[in-house]
Amino acid sequence: MQTLREIFDPHFLLRNSVYVSLVFGLTCPLVGLWLVVRRLVFLGVALPQVSSCGVAFAFALQGWGLLPHAHQSATEHTLAFLGSTVFTLTAILLLSLQARRRRASVDASVGAAYALAGAWSILLLVKNPIGEHGLLDLLKGEIIAISNFELAVTAGVFAAVAAALLVFQKEFLLVSFDREMAVSLKKNALGWDTLLLLLIGLTISMSVLSAGPLVTFGFLLLPPLTAHLFARNMRQFALLAAGLGGLTALAGFYLAYRWDLPVGATDVALLGVMYGLAFVLRRLVRLVRAVRPV
Amino acid sequence: MNAPANTLLSLEGLAVGYDAQPVLRDLNLRLASGSFTGLLGANGSGKTTLIKTILGILPPLAGRMVFTPIDGRQPVLGYSPQHESLDPIYLLCSFEVVLMGVCGRVKPGRFIAKSERDWAHECLRRTGADQLSRKQFSELSGGQKQRVLIARALATKPDFLLLDEPVAGIDVSIKQSILDLLRRLHAEQRHTILMASHDLAVVRQYAQQAIWLRQGKALAGPAAQLLAPENIAAVLDLEMH
Repeated sequence: MQTLREIFDPHFLLRNSVYVSLVFGLTCPLVGLWLVVRRLVFLGVALPQVSSCGVAFAFALQGWGLLPHAHQSATEHTLAFLGSTVFTLTAILLLSLQARRRRASVDASVGAAYALAGAWSILLLVKNPIGEHGLLDLLKGEIIAISNFELAVTAGVFAAVAAALLVFQKEFLLVSFDREMAVSLKKNALGWDTLLLLLIGLTISMSVLSAGPLVTFGFLLLPPLTAHLFARNMRQFALLAAGLGGLTALAGFYLAYRWDLPVGATDVALLGVMYGLAFVLRRLVRLVRAVRPV
Repeated sequence: MNAPANTLLSLEGLAVGYDAQPVLRDLNLRLASGSFTGLLGANGSGKTTLIKTILGILPPLAGRMVFTPIDGRQPVLGYSPQHESLDPIYLLCSFEVVLMGVCGRVKPGRFIAKSERDWAHECLRRTGADQLSRKQFSELSGGQKQRVLIARALATKPDFLLLDEPVAGIDVSIKQSILDLLRRLHAEQRHTILMASHDLAVVRQYAQQAIWLRQGKALAGPAAQLLAPENIAAVLDLEMH
């Protein structure tokens, strides 16, 4: 209880990290549920890795003297954000174009993107002369060290993404559920697809900077997968997924702080436990319903 | 080329297909306003490809399609796809599926007005699916899904209804009731209907006109005449030789 009081104290040293965790936990599942229903889960694994590669590339440019050195946290963050966003959005657009042209599975390309992005992130980092100056932490997603600037940017971007998802939910649902129907209604299906993918890309870029690729993947997919086991409609699905994400982010932060564990890994482990429990509970409920006399 | 006054759609030298590979070519057909036309053909004959081209989902490979304007506007198309094509992962009740039909009249980012929601309920009622309104779409039987999809097509307030295999994979008794529903809707509301089916008996019994797709070509005419036993034998015999 003492730890909990400490964490929620407005003068708590790591308060920005708590706030970012909460915003991150609430927003990532809202975006991730579209990856789940559009059956793009592999994209949710590969894109955070591609995003990390973008961060490493941006700093490599700096290391090779092609960009001026940044000594301020805000400039460093902006550079990382630019690298991450450019790489993520380019990967999304290329993969969606490939999916459209071939009308076939792009699993192989997504897998290749994941492996290559992971390898290049490491290579770019080890060969970067300024790599040891906290860049590794940035790439890993150090949710502990969050400045006021980073908090403001992260909260602003996530709020904009959540608002866009809410306002255009009807359009996103139509083009995702029945694209052909959308086209027959003269909707710009390609435009709506692109906007949704841009929102997904933006969220992933921002999330990787805040928490790293592993945690981003965890929050994008595990809360929606858990929520899908119990929700009865899309609204419940979104609320339950966001609620689970937010709650886990706070609980994970509490446990990590209490027992001196890495925050990101604790969050993902907790999400895994919740998914496992939910899965077993769902099976039990079905079993009870099946054996109960009508 | 000027179409007769009651023509809703003219296909002029149309070729349809995927990736520049034509499935059907040199189609010259006219669909009269208010007609009920059966689009007949075996699996893979190009029924769905033609419907998707008319809907604007696929671009024509050659030729052109001309819709006759109604009161100075392009005709509204209502589409009912094959129910297996919709992913059950979406947590949507039947009413929400039907509500998608009104989206063509609702601007992006706007809420759906009560009048449109009432209209969606009315469409469910007209197709005898009002009791399914709150049920999960993915949990419905094939026949129930088809009724909901026809209700969604009606929700667009269509001038032209395009139905892709509405009774494929459905029990005989349910199949009969869906076909009776389509006949009733056609009689009451004078929609122009194009219904794809691989069932010759269904097209002969329910459609006024028939388009028979065979080996990349289309034969068209009154259903009773085109699908008369002697004609069918002649077409099949001709192909065998």
